[in-house]
Amino acid sequence: MHRDEIPPGTLYLLILKTLARANEMHGYEIADSIQRISDDVLQVEEGSLYPALQRMLIKGWVKARWGTTAGNRRARYYHLTALGRKQLETELSQFERIIGAITRVIQTA
Amino acid sequence: MDSLRELGRRLWMLIHRRQFDADLEEEVRLHLELREQDQIRKGLSLKEARYAASRQFGNATSLTEKSHMEWGWEWLESFVQDIAYGTRAILRNPALTIVALLSLALGIGANTAIFSMLDAVMLRSLPVNDPAQLVLLGNGSSSGITDDFARTQLYSYPFYRRMQAENQVFSDTAAIFSMTNSVHGFVEGRNESEPMNVQLVSGTYFDTLGVKALKGRTLNDGDDNSEGDHPVAVISYAWWKRSLARDPNVLSHTLKLGDTTFNIVGVAPPEFFGTKVGEAPDIWVPLSMVKEVPPHFGGYKEDFSESLLIMGRLKPGVSIDAATANVNLLFREILINFAGTKLDAENRQKLDRAKVPLTSMATGLSSLRRQFSKPLRLLMAVVALVLLIACANIANLLLARATARARELAVRQALGARRSRIIRQLVTESLVLAVAGGALGIALAAIANRLLLSMVSGGLEPIPLDVTIDSRLLLFTVAITITTALIFGTVPAFRATRPQLIDTLKAGRGMPGAGGKNPLAKALVISQVALSLVLMVGAGLFLRSLVNLNNVDTGFNKENVLRLNIDSSSAGYKAEEPRAFALYQQIEERVNAQPNVKAASFSAFTFNEGAWSSHVALAGKIKKDLEIMHNVVGLRYFETMQIPLIVGRTFSPSDTSASAPVVIISEHTAKTLFPLGNPIGQHYRLRDDGPKDEVTVIGVAKDVKFNNLAEEPANLDYFPYMQRAWGFGDFEVRYSGDFGTAAAAVQQTIHSIDRNLPITHVTTLDEQVARSITDQRVVAQLSVFFGLLAVFLSCIGIYGVMSYVVTRRTNEIGIRMALGAVRSNMLWMVLREILILVSIGIVIGLPMILAGERLVSNMLFGLKPTDPITLVSATVILLIVAAIAGYQPARRAALVDPMVALRYE
Repeated sequence: MHRDEIPPGTLYLLILKTLARANEMHGYEIADSIQRISDDVLQVEEGSLYPALQRMLIKGWVKARWGTTAGNRRARYYHLTALGRKQLETELSQFERIIGAITRVIQTA
Repeated sequence: MDSLRELGRRLWMLIHRRQFDADLEEEVRLHLELREQDQIRKGLSLKEARYAASRQFGNATSLTEKSHMEWGWEWLESFVQDIAYGTRAILRNPALTIVALLSLALGIGANTAIFSMLDAVMLRSLPVNDPAQLVLLGNGSSSGITDDFARTQLYSYPFYRRMQAENQVFSDTAAIFSMTNSVHGFVEGRNESEPMNVQLVSGTYFDTLGVKALKGRTLNDGDDNSEGDHPVAVISYAWWKRSLARDPNVLSHTLKLGDTTFNIVGVAPPEFFGTKVGEAPDIWVPLSMVKEVPPHFGGYKEDFSESLLIMGRLKPGVSIDAATANVNLLFREILINFAGTKLDAENRQKLDRAKVPLTSMATGLSSLRRQFSKPLRLLMAVVALVLLIACANIANLLLARATARARELAVRQALGARRSRIIRQLVTESLVLAVAGGALGIALAAIANRLLLSMVSGGLEPIPLDVTIDSRLLLFTVAITITTALIFGTVPAFRATRPQLIDTLKAGRGMPGAGGKNPLAKALVISQVALSLVLMVGAGLFLRSLVNLNNVDTGFNKENVLRLNIDSSSAGYKAEEPRAFALYQQIEERVNAQPNVKAASFSAFTFNEGAWSSHVALAGKIKKDLEIMHNVVGLRYFETMQIPLIVGRTFSPSDTSASAPVVIISEHTAKTLFPLGNPIGQHYRLRDDGPKDEVTVIGVAKDVKFNNLAEEPANLDYFPYMQRAWGFGDFEVRYSGDFGTAAAAVQQTIHSIDRNLPITHVTTLDEQVARSITDQRVVAQLSVFFGLLAVFLSCIGIYGVMSYVVTRRTNEIGIRMALGAVRSNMLWMVLREILILVSIGIVIGLPMILAGERLVSNMLFGLKPTDPITLVSATVILLIVAAIAGYQPARRAALVDPMVALRYE
């Protein structure tokens, strides 16, 4: 099974989008979700999720609270803030602009 | 706004960082376990699942570290770590630490102490409202009373009033009596008089300064609008505390000064010490009372009794130039319009020549400043050099230590520590050292300050100067501490982390480029030697100056003379009254009759006490080019002082108010007044005296020093007080035997005549002469101290470097000795190296001395800055001391056992 590294800089976008879909998730769920939805194509070095999440906490894009998992384990659940939603929009439109540009360059060939 | 919230979150994290780390760890653990279970479900074995989970996760340790770092406190945490590590590293090497801390503490302490004096004497602004707007007419260099025409330093009271009314540039104008009255007054209800320093000021004084009373009121213009009927006084906070124990009912108290009772109307605020730095009056009294306060100066209504300093507060927006122009215009106008002004050619010339400069009063007036500003600046330079030497020393020690730690550092770098990180850590260590040294330095400065103040005060009551360590000083100290840390810490840190890992790791002992070559360390030693030489020569020069001053022939015999002051004016005696004359006669008679007294006499002045001078008229013509300083003395003055008489006779009991007035002149006066022929029997008169008051010269006395030891022979003359009334004053007694016994007996005798006579300043003439060169003595003592300190520090430097060199060259020495070198050769080899280093230092130091020559030349007495004896002896001392410092390492080199040395490798 071949897996691709995610393009640099898109990790925040992926996390933001993943969290936007759900109410709240803990770290493992986020990683798992990204992997499953991308049909195992996008490979996150799972550990790098955590520095990214810390950074997002500082920026105020997400908030965290401690809760219990289905398996009755303590886990830190993250959810988007209003600031996070705005950030998601910014990142999305930026991403689409770049992808669109790349696509146009490739197609003109 | 967002960034502020962000900072808030970061701070929250910093405070709760343990919790954060634990949370993160738990999160990661959960993640790994869930992934592991997931893999097991996919059919992997437990071991395989765990491996896969952690592979997928990445390096957990580094990732949690990275998460942690996201919060941006890494620098702070590593700084705290560095401090802890640095402290431990420093404590591991106590000998080095003690030397480093001591030299730092001395260096920083000395800098702080001298700076605090400098600050108090020269820099600090007066604690008044907007001091920058205050200006003084003249430059504040004079004090006293004169009647000279068109003086630009001192002014009469009528002049002040006219200036105040007519000027257009000052919002407020005030006058200050140029002298402080030392009075012995009575606090109401007390029987014993106590010393009080009274400052006479105009009623506008406090308002001009913008100083408000702490209790009651300050003086106002109404207290100063008519002569003699405003007996009010404002007292200083210090005096309220000292003499009245902060009595809350202070305003209902009175003071008796002379015959007049003054009501205390207010207390000045604690920080206000007046306008003269180094003199803190106890009591302020309006100038309208100038005649009532002993010694009853007077002159309130006289146009030409010039005794006041005038200060003004510039109106907003008025430049100093505009103010100067206005003041000078008025100066002419006021003087021309005084009724008593005779505008003859001479006065016209004086008026044309007079130019009133305006001087800033922001830092107040100070005679202390004139006396000590140069010494203090010089000492500041000296202590800065000492601190530099100390820095060089510590840099050297750290360099040697970094060398010893080279392997440790190389290993750390090989393991991936960044160079910048290691440098940061080493500099932090230096900072720890510097901060500890700085703290010790401040403690030392607090002690040194008190010592310095008592040295500067010359054994009298400490000068009232605030030299406590305040926030400004702390800032200064912190600044120099950090600077020193950077100076001595950075270079070794960069050197120690030089990227030559392989060599270092391979080499048996320490640093690459072995063979004992260490140009940096040697350069440091050379610069230490050069600076030490500069300080040594300076110390030598000042010391020799002081010795020269001490050896000056004063013309009188200063040994075995007791001198004291009686405050006869405070005790109610007025100079012209017969009972004052009777008192002086009686005291002289009774004291002279005491068994251990050889001679005793009153005098207006003895030495270094100011002067009364005037022009004289010779054969009816005033000699304008010559002023004579007058002394008024008792019958046995020449005997008491042992001033030899060259020709003629001294005063005798037959010289009375009824007989013809006589005078004794000094040799120099004889030469100036009567260059040809015999002065005895010649006549002259003082300019102010009438034609019939001519005095006849009856004797010529040997020249004496009058104002200071460095002066050239001056024009002096002596009048007997039997013929010219004087309110004393100074009393001198030539005694035999013990000083204490004599002093007690004399005071007892005086008090047996009038037990209310306040007696002060009981000391020896010798002491009084010594006090006149206090500034020179302080400079000499301190520069010798710091010179020795500098040499001592340099010796430590030499010792350290040579020890290091010898250790590094043990192999070479071993080989040389195996090949037949003699021990004495080895000894000489090391000593030679020291001598070369010191010689280079001396060669560099000499031009520095020549460059600094001009700075000190006018502070020296009886020798030039290039004094060969001083230069040679400083050089020789430095060489000898350096050789002693290097002897121990040299001996170690000589004792190297070739077998041991060779086997080491």
